[in-house]
Amino acid sequence: METQGHKLYEELGSLARFVDNAMNAISSATPQIMSSSTQLPTAAAHLTDLKKMTEDGTLEVMRLTELVQDSHAQMAKELSGVADVLKAMDCVTLAGRLEQVRVLLGQDEKHLMEIMTTLSFQDLVAQRVKKLVTILDEVQTKLVELVVVFGLQRNGNEAAGTGIADQMLKQLEQSKTTAMKQQVADDLLAQFGFK
Amino acid sequence: MPADPNMKILVVDDMVTMRKIVKNILKQLGFSNIDEAENGQEGLQKLRDGSYNFVVSDWNMPVMTGIDMLRAIRADEKLKSIPVLMVTAEAQQSNLIEAVQAGVSNYIVKPFTAETMQEKIGKIFK
Repeated sequence: METQGHKLYEELGSLARFVDNAMNAISSATPQIMSSSTQLPTAAAHLTDLKKMTEDGTLEVMRLTELVQDSHAQMAKELSGVADVLKAMDCVTLAGRLEQVRVLLGQDEKHLMEIMTTLSFQDLVAQRVKKLVTILDEVQTKLVELVVVFGLQRNGNEAAGTGIADQMLKQLEQSKTTAMKQQVADDLLAQFGFK
Repeated sequence: MPADPNMKILVVDDMVTMRKIVKNILKQLGFSNIDEAENGQEGLQKLRDGSYNFVVSDWNMPVMTGIDMLRAIRADEKLKSIPVLMVTAEAQQSNLIEAVQAGVSNYIVKPFTAETMQEKIGKIFK
């Protein structure tokens, strides 16, 4: 009985030392955790600014592209009119050269449309930035909770990764590895009868 | 039946840049009667208020997602026959299957080209 009591005191003693060490470790880490948690909103703000900057830049390139597209369309119309007049006046060579210019304008038009569609990168960037900002917000909330509660252990549900941040991280990871290309999507659509 | 260049098209996307891109492509493809909405709920409201012939929609949007709007369209007696083209960055196979089950008319993965959109519209209105 006395031996068992002695062993119990030893166990309680080592448990108390472990708790004390853990408390000290958490105490010494708290300033860094606090510092990280206060920096996270700044990081999120930078990301949001980045999204806004890409949006502004993209819209300006679009505006200018549309202006060039409109002026090309007007030029093509004018050239057609002049070519018709030249043909009527039997100036076939000149009309042919104007036709070549019109073809070149058409090619430029295709390139301008490619510039427009390439700008869709901004949408993809914005979607990823939004997810990152959500993740940062949630991480910051958790860090603050950690400091307030003063315990680093996660409960079972959190460990399973069910928070919004975990879901978004998974989505970001998935998009890197399993995202479909249009051809794969088309093959899959064909299996559903889309011809 | 080829696509009518005068048909009324609704472009639904929360990103102004994407709405402009899709509108620009549709314009270059000869369509001029184009309206826009910022999310599924606004899109659905516009569809119920007006007579639209075609919807081009994003998936991931606040308030109401594109897939929820698609389901609402297919469940609405007046709207259910409107073709819906999904243009989205949601590029998982499960997303495409979900869209097909919800009644999507075709599906474009971002980033995409004008040719892809032309081809898909051609298939929807052939």
